[in-house]
Amino acid sequence: MKCSYNWLKSYVDLEGISPEECAERLTASGLEVEGIEKQASGSDLVIGKMLSCEKHPDSDHLMVCRVDDGTSVRQIVCGAPNAREAVGRKVIVALPGCELPGGTIRSSKIRGQLSDGMICALFELGVDRKLLTEKQLSGIEILGDDAPLGSRDVLSYLGLDDTILEITLTPNRADCLAMWSLAMQTGAVLNRKVTLPEEYRAEKELPATAEVSIQTDKCAWYLAKVIRHVQIGPSPEWIVRALRSNGIKTINNVVDISNLVMLETGQPLHFYDLKKIRDSSITVRQGLQETYEALDGQEYAIQPEDIMITNEGRTVGIAGIMGGEDSKIDETTDGILIEAASFDHVAIRNTSLRLNLQTEAAQRFIKMIEPSAGRKAVWRSTELLAEYAGAEGIEETVTAGSADLTPRKITLTQEKVNQVLGTSFTREEILEPLERLHFQPEADGDRITVTVPAYRMNDVALPEDVIEEIIQIRGYDNIIGTLPRMAQTIGTLEEENKLSRSVRDYLVGAGYHDILTYSLVGEKEAQDAVMPLGKPVAVLHPLSEERKYYRTSLLPSMLDAVSYNRSHFLEDFGLFEIGSVYAQGAEDHHARLSIALSGRLVQSEWKKKELPADFYTIKGVVEGLLEHLGYAHERISLEPVSDASLFHPFQAASVSLDGHVCAMMGKVHPAAARRYGLGNETVCAEMDLTEVMRRERGKMRFTPIPRFPSIRYDLSMMVDESVSARSVQKICEQNGTKLLQSAEIFDVYEGKGVAAGKKSLAVRMVFQAEDHTLKDEEIRPIVDRIADRLSREILAQIRAN
Amino acid sequence: MENWEKIKEELLAQISAVQSERDLEALRVQLLGRKGLIAGYMRRMKDLSPQEKKEFGKSINEVKKEVEQRLLEAGMILKRREEEESIQRESIDLTLEGVKPLRGTIHPVNQVIREIEDIFVSMGYSVMSGPEIETNEYNFVRANTPEGHPARAMQDTFYIDVDHLLRTQTTAIQMRSLEKLHDRLPIKIICPGKVYRRDDDDATHAHQFTQMEGLVVDENITMADLKGTLELMCRRMFGNQRQVRFRPSYFPFTEPSVEVDISCPFCGGKGCSVCKHSGWIEILGAGMVHPNVLNMAGIDAGKYTGFAFGVGIERVAMLRYGIDDIRDFFQDDVRFLKEFESAE
Repeated sequence: MKCSYNWLKSYVDLEGISPEECAERLTASGLEVEGIEKQASGSDLVIGKMLSCEKHPDSDHLMVCRVDDGTSVRQIVCGAPNAREAVGRKVIVALPGCELPGGTIRSSKIRGQLSDGMICALFELGVDRKLLTEKQLSGIEILGDDAPLGSRDVLSYLGLDDTILEITLTPNRADCLAMWSLAMQTGAVLNRKVTLPEEYRAEKELPATAEVSIQTDKCAWYLAKVIRHVQIGPSPEWIVRALRSNGIKTINNVVDISNLVMLETGQPLHFYDLKKIRDSSITVRQGLQETYEALDGQEYAIQPEDIMITNEGRTVGIAGIMGGEDSKIDETTDGILIEAASFDHVAIRNTSLRLNLQTEAAQRFIKMIEPSAGRKAVWRSTELLAEYAGAEGIEETVTAGSADLTPRKITLTQEKVNQVLGTSFTREEILEPLERLHFQPEADGDRITVTVPAYRMNDVALPEDVIEEIIQIRGYDNIIGTLPRMAQTIGTLEEENKLSRSVRDYLVGAGYHDILTYSLVGEKEAQDAVMPLGKPVAVLHPLSEERKYYRTSLLPSMLDAVSYNRSHFLEDFGLFEIGSVYAQGAEDHHARLSIALSGRLVQSEWKKKELPADFYTIKGVVEGLLEHLGYAHERISLEPVSDASLFHPFQAASVSLDGHVCAMMGKVHPAAARRYGLGNETVCAEMDLTEVMRRERGKMRFTPIPRFPSIRYDLSMMVDESVSARSVQKICEQNGTKLLQSAEIFDVYEGKGVAAGKKSLAVRMVFQAEDHTLKDEEIRPIVDRIADRLSREILAQIRAN
Repeated sequence: MENWEKIKEELLAQISAVQSERDLEALRVQLLGRKGLIAGYMRRMKDLSPQEKKEFGKSINEVKKEVEQRLLEAGMILKRREEEESIQRESIDLTLEGVKPLRGTIHPVNQVIREIEDIFVSMGYSVMSGPEIETNEYNFVRANTPEGHPARAMQDTFYIDVDHLLRTQTTAIQMRSLEKLHDRLPIKIICPGKVYRRDDDDATHAHQFTQMEGLVVDENITMADLKGTLELMCRRMFGNQRQVRFRPSYFPFTEPSVEVDISCPFCGGKGCSVCKHSGWIEILGAGMVHPNVLNMAGIDAGKYTGFAFGVGIERVAMLRYGIDDIRDFFQDDVRFLKEFESAE
């Protein structure tokens, strides 16, 4: 909200306190002042008189003016179209050296003519353009004849010597939208005296003719007051200025008073033209469905849930938001009906959002009005109408419903205050801020009972709320940090967190970069999901097509990230991400891991040490990771996949742990690679970590190192190219007896020197006995049997052993 | 009679002149071999008188011993020299790039999460998680923010349906944990996680970001405990010299509520462009757990108190590393990621 410092000064004794100091103290107490802005500025201004205005000899639009500044006559070149009009009248002159928002004024020659200063327009002094008329925006300001020639106090003459504090109110302090409440708070914070207008009563009130009927539970109370005669005219200067400080334009005295009282009390008011309200009868209701023209001239589609103000079946206003076109106050208005009511903040918010009508009134209702504001607003507007709009025929106020004005008392103890804050305040140190805040503390032994002022009723309900008030006035610097004294607790990580850390460490160690992508994805990513748990969950009213669904798979987002990098000429890298997936009907999230390798992971270019983005690299990472996590190699099995659209049909596999599918991996399908803009060297994998965690992890156990040496045997053979490495290993394992420790393929060759349709394979077997040194004679028969089996079962031609 | 001295000198000179181990071996055979020079002299002994034989033998043995000794020495010298020469031939270009082990990076957001987790785990806090697709109940109602509460306007929410939404704050995890642990006090937890707001993405706003909240509930937990705990965290994260300042604020689920500033780590509080010349940087929100929140979870607010705080992880990372656009965290540019290689 905007707060005029001059206006605040009219209530609070701010003698000797600068706007800056006031702002700092308010901020420290919870009303954050985010900006301090002078309404207008100019360091060396003077009121001058335009003596003459001649055309500049070398310009079409410039004028050479002679201006009396009270002490001398100076020549100033001026380009304003209305300069000639100002001859003989008072103007604002910025003297050489004057600091204006746009820069410093200097004496100079303009096209050969001396210009010894500047004649100013209001916007050149920094006045908000929104508050100025077309005429003021297009020319210099011409002052009234009463303007004192030679006066240097130009801004105060203009009523523009104000400073505006821009205050950001937290939702609990909406009471400070009312100047009077803000004044009370400022007084409490600065410990200064506050003087607010006293409650007004008209000397004589006529019997009420207004009738109010509330036919909805969304209106707690409604105050109506008829004033039979008012005189429409201009507002006094102080009202114009007060409104201007809040960015509100003056319209006429009556409308201005309704706006001013809203600013003062926080209570939005609506004044109806009495002659348009038949029988002064008002009904507040819901359930209408119609098109309605509000006083901004726009038509609005009203829905049954909107609260409406009606007069004998005819709508006269959208409650709490905007009145109607045909009952608005204008020059023809004679009598008025004043409305001050309380409308449900949720209903007003919904209507205001739907109609896109964020009026000052609506904003205040949404933030909730304090219960005593209605009464204050009615007497205050009556008072001002009597004083500035010749109000006559003032009727009694009609009240429908009732505001709960029961004073709220809260009791707390000194011990409680210090216990919550961790302080050691004395009773006096607790009572003093409460006095200042008008909480009327009453001490009874250790107990302190406060009465919450009406304007704080929406915020202060519990002892903790009162404790906050105390420390805000005392200052948080009184709290000295300690650590909790409590029973010992052991800090733990959840299993998923531990697993994620192991995965991250393993993959970072392997050279991959951890990434973070958005959980919300678009249609393409949703379509390409790998191992989705179900249909994706969609958000209502997405921000964009790209952010419609909570993802069911991480891999599509990963490929987007790969694509982004490739489009920035980065081709060689490995990435991974750990994140959650959800799906319709799935009870909880699943933790997922995605990995992608693009190009190659280069360790050394000149030594040609690199890992290419091929199936075996991603397979190695996936299997190596599972083994690192405690799942022995024997528990991992692979099946080819050919139905997944993201993967290459012959270079991809699904990975199972103990027979349960937990991952998919492989080369990206060339068509998908094209779709994502990946180039052809991308391999990737997605692993369901939740599924992995369901399998029991192997325990780490120490196996003693063998005391006897092992024997190594290599077998080299020629086989059909369709024979898999695994089938060779399997035959070795089946026939190797318990002495066989391992059988690994260490060479594969196809091509020159090998017949077409054939390949050369070499397997290395290691034999080991626990209790003695193996002799060649023991192993030879085993190897011969293996060779024999290989020849028979897979038709291997054994080359050497 | 032979001039043994002269013979010896000649032989030794021959040995000294040899330049390679191979030549030395040839010379050794030539001198000491079965058909060698010394053996030749030996064979002549049989024709000598016993007296001559004795002298001859003594002399020749001396020569032989001397030759053997010299050959051995020369061999060692030559070996050393040849080794030196071969080592010299192994000279390489030291300026070529070394072969570094491959090394990836942990995303800066995940680095900061882990760091804060570790700080608090070491103080006995447990790390808790919760669902990102949340219910209205845990995200708002239990956090003392019922339907229509003015504070709901502070956050724009992605709804899934009437009851479900993408959590807007990790407070939801706190609310679940409070309910789960209400009969197993004390509670001492931190809750990191992704949160979502209907904000258009720009340099300082993101529709998805990461929060970490902390919660302690027990008897006699005070706001001073909150301050001390945050001082400890901020000093671990931003250096031992950091001061912590509380400013009044408002959150529906804490009372009193504060914004927490740290003295600017860039200028030490003197004022600079990062702290907008105030000397302080806003880093997190905190407060004492609102009695309504404790009561709703089934904890007696008359007996127990608690504190809670919440920090934006991206904000911490931005301050720590001098990143000025939050979108960088989600762009996943490899050049960006590689900058986070070094250990702190």
